[in-house]
Amino acid sequence: MTDLLQTVGTGTLIGLVYALLGLCVVVIFKASEAFNFAIGEFLVVGSFLFYIMFFDLNLPIFIALPLGLLAAGIVGALIEYLTIKPLLGRNPISMTMITLGLWFFMRACVQLIWGSDTYSFFLDLPDITLETEQFFFLSDPIWAGIFSILTFILVVFFLFRTRWGLAIRAVSEDQAKAMAFGINARFILMIIWAISSICIAVAGVMISNFGALAAGSGIVGLRAIPVVLIGGMDSIGGALVGGLIIGICESLAGAYIEPMGLIGFKDVAPYFVMLIVLFIRPYGLFGTVRIERV
Amino acid sequence: MLSIENLRVVYHDVISVLNGISLEVKEGEVLVIIGANGAGKTTLLRTVAGMIGFYDGDIIDGDIKMNDVSIKELDSADIMKRYNLTYVMEDRPIFNYLTIDENLKAAAYSRWDNKIKTDMEEVLDYFPVLKPLRNKKAGYASGGEQQMLAIGMALMTKPKILLLDEPSLGLAPLITEELFGIIRKLNKSGITIVLVEQNAYAALNIGNRGYVVEMGRVVLDGEAQELLKNEDVREFYLGAGESKRKSYKDAKRYKRRKRWL
Ligand SMILES: Nc1ncnc2c1ncn2[C@@H]1O[C@H](COP(=O)(O)OP(=O)(O)OP(=O)(O)O)[C@@H](O)[C@H]1O
Ligand SMILES: [Mg+2]
Repeated sequence: MTDLLQTVGTGTLIGLVYALLGLCVVVIFKASEAFNFAIGEFLVVGSFLFYIMFFDLNLPIFIALPLGLLAAGIVGALIEYLTIKPLLGRNPISMTMITLGLWFFMRACVQLIWGSDTYSFFLDLPDITLETEQFFFLSDPIWAGIFSILTFILVVFFLFRTRWGLAIRAVSEDQAKAMAFGINARFILMIIWAISSICIAVAGVMISNFGALAAGSGIVGLRAIPVVLIGGMDSIGGALVGGLIIGICESLAGAYIEPMGLIGFKDVAPYFVMLIVLFIRPYGLFGTVRIERV
Repeated sequence: MLSIENLRVVYHDVISVLNGISLEVKEGEVLVIIGANGAGKTTLLRTVAGMIGFYDGDIIDGDIKMNDVSIKELDSADIMKRYNLTYVMEDRPIFNYLTIDENLKAAAYSRWDNKIKTDMEEVLDYFPVLKPLRNKKAGYASGGEQQMLAIGMALMTKPKILLLDEPSLGLAPLITEELFGIIRKLNKSGITIVLVEQNAYAALNIGNRGYVVEMGRVVLDGEAQELLKNEDVREFYLGAGESKRKSYKDAKRYKRRKRWL
């Protein structure tokens, strides 16, 4: 029993990080119905930007983190401006194809700039390891969980309580209508990409802090796929639930199924759950069931 | 105040929809534009509002002038800000997943003054049916309520010119009547109105002048009352031909003549 609680707890913490990854995909999907496949590379770039501020420039963390995130946001906005904006009003499929291209392009850029080395990454946050007779939670995953949920809440607050959030929700529903009422949809879309890349960077820094950072670290970004497919591509609450489900499943699979000899099952489990959910609910648990009239 | 000169617009570089249309909007009037489905009325309004680019359309010839200044290079937000021109798209351009209150606030996005709250109350006074629904998602409102909301949202932008695209689409006759009453009231309060309508009879009745558009050109124009009496308009747009119906052959020839006018 203690074992189970421990496993679920660990899964929940990492699940919160996955939820944040899911959120990044969901906000973009809601706005332009495009799936951002380059999420992993955004994660790596965001982490490296923070790396520059914190490790290369030796800034204190409370300056380095905002600066790094700001840089990540600017890069996100810039990428949107150069590659996505020209496609405004076109088929979302073409935007999705662009993100596939971005994936490989950014991958190559990262390798050119930072090479294929592994960069050690240690944030030295205050030690908040939680240790009782029953549980033992390491400090880093707890911090990761805290930062992720805080970022998640901030984004939700921004979306539902501010003027720009309202504009974002309006643009997300219909770009043309928003434009007709004087909302600058192009600018709003850029803001959305900036927010998304900032969140990805937060997740990236947290994940890098578990071990190290390398050009190949981006692969973890693909976890966002089962997260949003389970939760629903256009549901913010779904991203949270999906993230937690994936985190917990992974953790359970690692603790109970892998020891039975199925090494590597941990990485497959999320897709397993995803398939089951999609069989029962094709739009995900919380996705809007769309009625399309032909 | 607004003049459209020999405007030609194509979609996707090949589909020619407006073929040299010219018309004039005078300050303070209700201008009615009628025309068959696919005549290019919506395209015309999109172009004037600076949104044609979003639909992959281009102006290949002609000009749009506001008080003699060309506005064809401006984008929608600029046109709205500089000239207080607001375009209410066809088919109830509201945000279904936002509440009525949020819809009104979203429409005031381009404003930074501190009178948004009081204006909101004013708009709701204009459309009392919306009051009890304030915190409901707009998607659940009835068709009539949604159209009222759409016009209310347009009012939140403080327009001097309103372009209305088929506001009566899908509404019951009684609601249409109420809506047209409101449009007339708005006009009395000083807003210039361009009204695109299929419901030609009701529209011409509240309008000052009218244009008949076909195949992306103006084929007829005049005082609203004159148009109501015009035999061709009655035949094709009011569905009430004089005494003896013209044969189909005649109708076709008439149309063809108009197209090459
Ligand atoms: N985005 C678009 N891409 C290509 N063709 C378009 C586009 N929008 C409209 N069209 C075409 O342009 C023509 C005119 O359309 P438009 O919507 O302007 O007509 P309308 O007069 O508003 O008709 P209705 O009365 O049915 O609303 C139609 O043939 C239509 O198929
Ligand atoms: Mg139309």
